[in-house]
Amino acid sequence: MRLKTCIHAVAGLLASTAIVSAQEVSLDLWTIDDPGEYHYVLAEEFMEKHPNIQINVRTVQFEDMVNDLARAVATGTGPDITYIDNPEVALFASRGLLMDLKPYIEKSEIVNEEDIYPGPLASVTWEGGIYGLPRGANTIALYYNADMYREAGLDPDNPPKTWDELYEAAKALTKPEENIYGIAFSAVATEEGTFQFLPWLQMTGGDYDNVATEGGARALNFWKRLLDERLASPDTLIRGQWDSTGTFNAGSAAMSISGPWELPRMSEEADFDYRAALLPVPEEGAERASALGEGDNVILASTDNPDEAFMFVEFLYEQMPRVWNEFGYLPASEVEVKDPQNPEIYAVFEESMKYARNRGPHPEWPRISQAIQQAIQTTLTGQAEAEDALATAQQKIDGVLGK
Amino acid sequence: MARFIRSVRDARGLYAALVWLALGYLLVFSAFPLVYNIVISLQTVDLFSLASFDRPFVGLQNYRDVLSDPVAGTVLWNTIRFVVLSLVFQLAIGFGLALFFQQDFPGATYLRGLFLAGWIMPALVVGAVWSWILAGDFGVLNYVLRTLGITERNIFWLSDPDVSLYSVIIANIWLGIPFNMILLSVGLAAIPRDIYEAAELDGAGAWQRFFTITLPLMRAPLGAVVSLGTIFTLQQFDLFAALTQGGPSNASNVAQYWSWQLSFQTYQISYGSVVSVLMIVFVVAVAAVYTRSTRHEQSY
Repeated sequence: MRLKTCIHAVAGLLASTAIVSAQEVSLDLWTIDDPGEYHYVLAEEFMEKHPNIQINVRTVQFEDMVNDLARAVATGTGPDITYIDNPEVALFASRGLLMDLKPYIEKSEIVNEEDIYPGPLASVTWEGGIYGLPRGANTIALYYNADMYREAGLDPDNPPKTWDELYEAAKALTKPEENIYGIAFSAVATEEGTFQFLPWLQMTGGDYDNVATEGGARALNFWKRLLDERLASPDTLIRGQWDSTGTFNAGSAAMSISGPWELPRMSEEADFDYRAALLPVPEEGAERASALGEGDNVILASTDNPDEAFMFVEFLYEQMPRVWNEFGYLPASEVEVKDPQNPEIYAVFEESMKYARNRGPHPEWPRISQAIQQAIQTTLTGQAEAEDALATAQQKIDGVLGK
Repeated sequence: MARFIRSVRDARGLYAALVWLALGYLLVFSAFPLVYNIVISLQTVDLFSLASFDRPFVGLQNYRDVLSDPVAGTVLWNTIRFVVLSLVFQLAIGFGLALFFQQDFPGATYLRGLFLAGWIMPALVVGAVWSWILAGDFGVLNYVLRTLGITERNIFWLSDPDVSLYSVIIANIWLGIPFNMILLSVGLAAIPRDIYEAAELDGAGAWQRFFTITLPLMRAPLGAVVSLGTIFTLQQFDLFAALTQGGPSNASNVAQYWSWQLSFQTYQISYGSVVSVLMIVFVVAVAAVYTRSTRHEQSY
């Protein structure tokens, strides 16, 4: 009798563990998407393929992500997987809060490290480990209004290639009496300002850790000239990229520097022939650079189900060929995109991606970024000379870098 | 048990219970955050050490760092201008309107009610509306000014460093007028008519009546409006977020916004706390002046 109970108990135990392993693994996913967007759509698809894995998606506002995540991690209530914006990966990776995916990637048949473009790869790399996989990427280019080009007697098939040509074009296209500016961009005192300015600095050989250079001053003075001569609106100082490009769509600016996220709205609002070109370089033959945006799917080190979490992140990565047409990001790795929408503009951005460089990486990126923003703003408002403003920024950045 | 019920009934126990309730509430929701904020301002705190108390203590070093930041001077001067100008104009216009609506004319009460509309709107909405009004290239205000021939070129209200702070002040004055008006209206209504009638019989003119009756009797409401106005003005955050984000180049940055930027944009949470502790000290001083000025308050 006693033996029988024992056997029953053991059998019951075995059965219950069997059920558990065949049953639900539950993963929490934080995203900045709303329902109907990338993470929601792909989580559904993944769950259909893997009925035993349940993914709970939660939307966090983009600007709250770092704060919420840090608090959640500190109190042990963090998700298994989350989206993090590019420059913030280092903040979490440097504290050991993210799982190193390198061992998994080495075994993976889907993810191949060499396929990832250098910019996106740098954004997830920290001290030799790989702490996330890019979900896509974006970068910036020069949009221009081909109709206005023709009106101004410029050749729309030959957009500006150098800074001087850009200046000339902006000058020819500006019509103060009609309230039309030659060019729109963003020098706002937020991350967006840094995002727009860094490529200009990088083209002259500088970078975030080396801003007080002759090239940096040249780039800043170029921006200042555009504002001083009213070839760009003074509101450039307080407008983000979305609002700046809004003025381009409305026909109040003949060119605009921004990214592919503008295209859905542009196709609705801009009733003119709009095209895109690579960012102009300081002079012919100079090094190219472009900004790198979008973010990464990362797994938190605290997850209980690292294998399943990686399966999901790997699945997301596998969808790279779809991201342009379905979600509006550029692929962050070398993949073939079939029938891309806006093929000419896609070609420009795809080319531009090769020059896209990561911001940082540095765990205290926001402070570095803020020093750069301040240099931009004090120069453009005429409070300081470009050289002095950049020297001040360099001092602050050196402080952060511990030099 | 019976004693307890009796003590509640005979009010003494009830009062005690109410006092403890209020005291408990203050301790949990006011005193604790306040003290915690002061503690943070003396430690090195970042995003990840927010949840624990075990953090390196650095004493007044944070205060030295913040005050020696070149931005600190700009922010202080901006904050003074923002608070003083906002208060002066809110009070003057609000008091003027309150006096105006005190006159008996048809529809006075309805019109006064309409003025509250601005106060009902969330500051963020007010900010969005004002950012359309003040926009540089397509703003309503520039359009009006140019059409009337007052200015020839557009004024860049939000992106010109010489103007941007005043733009926020203008929006804030507009936002604060209804509050001032209503509080002062209530004060005016409480002044008995017969005092004015007696003064009038004695031959006092309108100005004399204002300076010898209205102003002295309005001392308490005015004190309340000034001190509450100071606190509200120091709390004004949404307008900055919606209009200028403190820019360009910190030209319109004020203490409350700077504190937020330090804490939540560059994650220097201790520095953000330092700024808010300094603001608390100032507000406590204002509150002390207010309590002193109303200590001998009487009702008429």
